This record gives sequence, structure tokens and C-alpha cells, in this order.
Amino acid sequence: MRLRILPYGVLVAGCVFAIFPYFLTVLTAFKGPGQLSQTLPWEPGLPPSVAAFDRLFASGFGGYLVNTVLVTAGITAGQVVFAVLAAYSFARLSFPGRDALFWVYLSTLMVPPVVTMIPLYLMMQKLGLVDTWAGLMLPTMLGTPYAIFLLRQFFRSIPADLEDAARIDGAGRVRTLVSIVLPLSKPILVTVTTLAVVANWNSFLWPLIITSSEDKRLLSVGIALFKSEIGVDYNAVMAGSLIALVPLLVLFVVFQRFIVRSVAVTGLK
Amino acid sequence: MLRPAPRRTRRVGHARQTLAAYALLAPSMVGVIGFLLAPVVIVMVLSLFDWKLLSTPEFIGLANYHKLFTDGDVWHSLLVTLYYVLICVPGTTILSLLLALLVDRKLRWMKYFRALLVIPWMATPVALGLVWTWIFDPGRGALNQFLGVFGIDGPAWLSSPVLAMPSVAAVHIWQFAGYNMLFFLAGLQNIPPSLREASSLDGASPIGHFFSITLPLLRPTMLFVLITNVIGSFQAFDTIFVMTEGGPGDSTEVATYLIYDEAFRKFDFGYASTISVLLFAVVLIATISQFVYFERRTTYDFS
Repeated sequence: MRLRILPYGVLVAGCVFAIFPYFLTVLTAFKGPGQLSQTLPWEPGLPPSVAAFDRLFASGFGGYLVNTVLVTAGITAGQVVFAVLAAYSFARLSFPGRDALFWVYLSTLMVPPVVTMIPLYLMMQKLGLVDTWAGLMLPTMLGTPYAIFLLRQFFRSIPADLEDAARIDGAGRVRTLVSIVLPLSKPILVTVTTLAVVANWNSFLWPLIITSSEDKRLLSVGIALFKSEIGVDYNAVMAGSLIALVPLLVLFVVFQRFIVRSVAVTGLK
Repeated sequence: MLRPAPRRTRRVGHARQTLAAYALLAPSMVGVIGFLLAPVVIVMVLSLFDWKLLSTPEFIGLANYHKLFTDGDVWHSLLVTLYYVLICVPGTTILSLLLALLVDRKLRWMKYFRALLVIPWMATPVALGLVWTWIFDPGRGALNQFLGVFGIDGPAWLSSPVLAMPSVAAVHIWQFAGYNMLFFLAGLQNIPPSLREASSLDGASPIGHFFSITLPLLRPTMLFVLITNVIGSFQAFDTIFVMTEGGPGDSTEVATYLIYDEAFRKFDFGYASTISVLLFAVVLIATISQFVYFERRTTYDFS
């Protein structure tokens, strides 16, 4: 019995430690201005107040939220579709330069995004895309080497006979891909999509640099600047953070079992 | 009767396949080569130029590098980054390994415990940085209020030049320990149970077993966790941007922050590029030396 209690105790303590910042965020976001100084951080403000959210939305947060949802969806869709096309090409077609090109793709995994930041900005400037939706989305939406690598490995594990059968029946490459390969690849597609959604939703440095007008501002940039614009209004800052944190939390709860399994897969070749 | 296809059609078929392949690859080639590989080349070229906002770029050879080697700010920033990496990487790795050992057993509700521990990984770093700024707030923040319960007068965590960096690094560890736990967990579950039984028959203690059997078998996982964490923490920016803005003074001014500052606040693109090249070189050396270190040691593959 003693042996059972100890691991549970440590586990519960660990989980509480992992979750309590979320808990504090919720509590703080729903306190009224006066309640913040009258209550301890881990005490709820009674009655709960949505005044902080009112202040946020009055300063344009609704727009940031919509922008973030649309930009995340757009970049993610692009990344997944173009990565699937590239991965299929690498996995199934034979063409001159394939291995060299794949090696080039892999080598870009080593490039830290920070290093590409200045050249990308100057490229977007040359193209006249600074402070535009295209400039915000274009550099990352054409496929990431990591997703291409993961998908290629998976596609290669699908028996080629299945596709050959479809092709003998006269299906073209794209139809084979859509009707045979993709339905068999659901697990890896969910993995790649989830990783992309998390990365794009959380993205900060590039949106900070490339956009300046408020109508193109994303949540991450919005809350970071909000703090410096209004000072330490912790009610509102926590309400803003909550809006940024909750959608991914919901995503996690819905796909929880799946994500835990698939994250581990991405670590192994 | 079947006859081999005439040579011409086969060649046409091959050409068509090549065409199809490159058509499918075209978008990602623009993305990977145009927006990832080309910028690396461009940043190296830019580092040889004097280019400030509105001025015409002027080729100045290695003058930026000369400035770099005598620039105290750059070296200070590099040391600060190294300090951050040296707290984050061992901290995250050790904690995630301990967590993996803890959750690698068959207990009720274990999958929920694992899931809860992974949640911080998904948090938006900027939002997280703000949440922790609030927790670290010297006056009303949760940490000092909590310490106050025990009669301890907590310090001003983020405005102390000594404590700011460990505090910021603690947030990184908090965010990524559960995530990295999953990789170690997968590694642990790859170890055949027969090895565990064999060594307990030999009378090895659990701790002896861990160091002589488990740890060596986890080397591939260890390499992956170390490399991804080193690369990631060398690029720390988001949480630092909202928590300390590089301060107090320049005590948390990591390399990425310095590059951002030089390029997008002082608009010195040439010199900022030079610092980028230096950071890239440091990350590359750190990555390759880990590969070489682990390569020299034998690993066993059971899969």
C-alpha cells in the first residue's frame, strides 16, 4: 500500500505544478480590479467579473483573435498540403536529383529560424510584402522540412502494391494519393497537423517583425504589446493570455490520447 | 502476347514522372530553398556589408567581424545565452528523465497523468511569459505570497540581475519537461523487459540497474532530447521578450534578443547579420559536437 501511495503523491504534485499557472490565469482573469489587491492569487474573486475581458475587447482583441484563427488555419493548410505533395514525390517517384534534393531539405532542419529572420524581412521588403497577409504567411506556408520528413517516412511504409493496383485500374498519381495513400495515413496527418497548429498559433517573432498595422495583429503580438501599452493591469493581461492559451488546451483535451502517442513517434526515426 | 514496351515510350514515361515529381515538389522547393536555404546564404553575404536603414549597402569585407570580436556586448550576450542553455538543457533533461521513470509503470489513470504533464508544452510562450511574470511579481505574485505563508520575504525575482536569468530559465524547464518526458518514456518502453529481469536476477539494485543498463540503452533518446533542447534554448526569445526585455541591465539579453534589437530597433542590418552568423556557427558546433560525442559511444538497437 505504501508503495502505491508514494508514486501517486509525486504524480499528483507534478501535475498540480504543471497545471497551476493555468489555474492562476483563470482566477486572475475573472477578478474585478479591486478584487486583485484584496484576494490572494489562488483565491477566486467573488463574484466573478468579466470587466477585464470587456477592456480587452474594447482595445481590439476580438480582431486579433479572428486574425490568429485565420492565419493559423491558412498556414497550417498550406504546410500540410504542400508537405504531403513533396513527401509523396520523395517516397514514391523516381527522378534525377531526388536523393540530393532530399538531403538538401533535411539539412535545412539545422537552420535556426532566427538566422533567416533578417534576409526574409529584406526579401519581403523587396517583394513589397511588409505588413501584408502574404508577407506574414508566405515564408512558412509552403511546407516545412520536418513535416515532409515525417510524412515521407510514413508513406514509404505503405505497401506499394496497393497503389500499383489502383494505377493499373487507370487512376492517376494525384488520385492514387488522395484515394489510397491519404486514408491510410490518418495518424501521421493528425500528428503533422497538430504540430503545425501549435507552432503557428504560438508563433511570435516573425509576426512581430513583419506586421505593424493593428488590423493585421496576431494574439501573441497583441498580448506582448498590450503589457507595454497599458502597464501592469494583470487582470487584463491574464484575460488576454487566457484567450491565447484556451484554444490549444481545447485541442489538447479533444485529441489528448492521440497527441501523447504521436509526439513520442516524432522523436524516433 | 506481352512485348517489352518500346524504348521511346519508356523514356517518355520516365520524363513524365520526373515532370510530375518536380510539379509536386515545386511549392515546397520555393519554401525550403527560397525561404530557408537562400536566407542562410544571404545572411552571410549581408554580414559583409554596412547597411543601415535608408543607407545604400556598402561592401566592407570583414569589418563587421572585426567589430564583432571586440564588441563586449556581443560576447556578453553570448555568455548570457550559454548560461541560459546550461540551466535549461540539464534541467529539462534530468527532470524529464525522472518524470519518464515515474510514469513508466502501469498504474490506474496513468494516461491522464501523462497528458496533464505534457500540457505546458502547447502553451503560447508569450502568454506563458506573462503568466509567470505575474507569478513572480514581487508584491502580489503567487510565489512571494506563497513564501509569505512560511514567513519568507521573497525577492524581486525578475528585477534582480542575479535571479532574473534562473527565473526565466525555470519557465523553460517548466514548459518542456513534460514534453521531453514523452521521448524518454518511448525510449524506456523500447527496452526489452527481459533485460530488467536478468539484472534483478543478478541482484542488481534498482539504482545500479538504472546506471548500468537503462541509461546506456537510452542514449539515442538522450541524443535527440539534448540536441533539440540545445537548438531550442539557444534561440530563446518569446518568454524573455515579455518577462525581462533583456534586463535588468543586460543580464538576460540573449543572442536572439540582441539580433532583434540591432536589426529591428537600430536597423543595423549588416551588423545584425554578422551576429546571426556567429549564433548559427555556435549552434552548429554545439549540435555537431554532441553527435560526435554520442557517436563514439556504442548504442544498441533493439527495435
